[in-house]
Amino acid sequence: MSRDLVCREVVELLNGYLDQALPADVLAAVEAHLAGCDGCTMVLEEFRQTIAMTGMLTEDQVTPSQRETLLAAFRGWSLA
Amino acid sequence: MVRASPQDLALVERLRAGDEDAFMMLVEQHQAMMLRIARMYVSSQAVAEEVVGDAWIAILRGLDTFEGRSSLRTWMYRILANIAKTRGAREGRSRPFSALIKEDEGTAVPDAWFRGLDDPGAGGWSTFPNDWRGIPEDRLLAGETLRVVGAAIDALPPLQAEVIRLRDVLGWTSEEVRNALDLSETNQRVLLHRARAKVRAAVEEHLRSVNT
Repeated sequence: MSRDLVCREVVELLNGYLDQALPADVLAAVEAHLAGCDGCTMVLEEFRQTIAMTGMLTEDQVTPSQRETLLAAFRGWSLA
Repeated sequence: MVRASPQDLALVERLRAGDEDAFMMLVEQHQAMMLRIARMYVSSQAVAEEVVGDAWIAILRGLDTFEGRSSLRTWMYRILANIAKTRGAREGRSRPFSALIKEDEGTAVPDAWFRGLDDPGAGGWSTFPNDWRGIPEDRLLAGETLRVVGAAIDALPPLQAEVIRLRDVLGWTSEEVRNALDLSETNQRVLLHRARAKVRAAVEEHLRSVNT
């Protein structure tokens, strides 16, 4: 990437950055930008915190009727 | 491709031995997600439930020949995706995923926050994002904020919601997500970015409203 990135472009690349999915030249440009930009660094930190918050959520449970059906299927399978 | 872990192989042994607790633990871990993934391929919740039921049967049948060349989870969701896709095709549903990806071209933060093209600093910040740095961690992770996060995820377009659930709630790798949802690397990345951007925006909005 031969030119500097502007903030507006950088915020769209931050999740690729967090996922280590950026090509080397783009990565270098993002890092160079972040080093001198408080606004984008703040948004990066907010994405990190958003991921941490999302990680605190839990998945729904299995309903009793699904449990029964699947347990019956398993018993049928293991006896076969 | 990640190979099956020792834990995967031990679990497969217990299942082959007919261990019901082991099976129900696996069901508890995956049923809700399997249903949601199936739902993306077929026309109704009822059909999705049938698909997941069929997938469990196919998983059990396949266990005898499971060789551990991929992780158990990757293998299970490939079976599920194949069954769901076949069923969706039989229903005449063409896969809507690429359309879903294009329908929503949002930006991570509102466009109005950046300087316009006629400005010498075009594309730089004109309104700074809300600063969360002063907010204690326990406040961010409190029930009230997490409810905002959950509601924001529920409000996402279906494919974005599933990608963020798999990646950030369940901690799957991008490869596992691509496999389960049959997505290209680029699509996975774009969907995850849009999803996280909307969740971040919802949290920001919430923090702004409680701080003022």
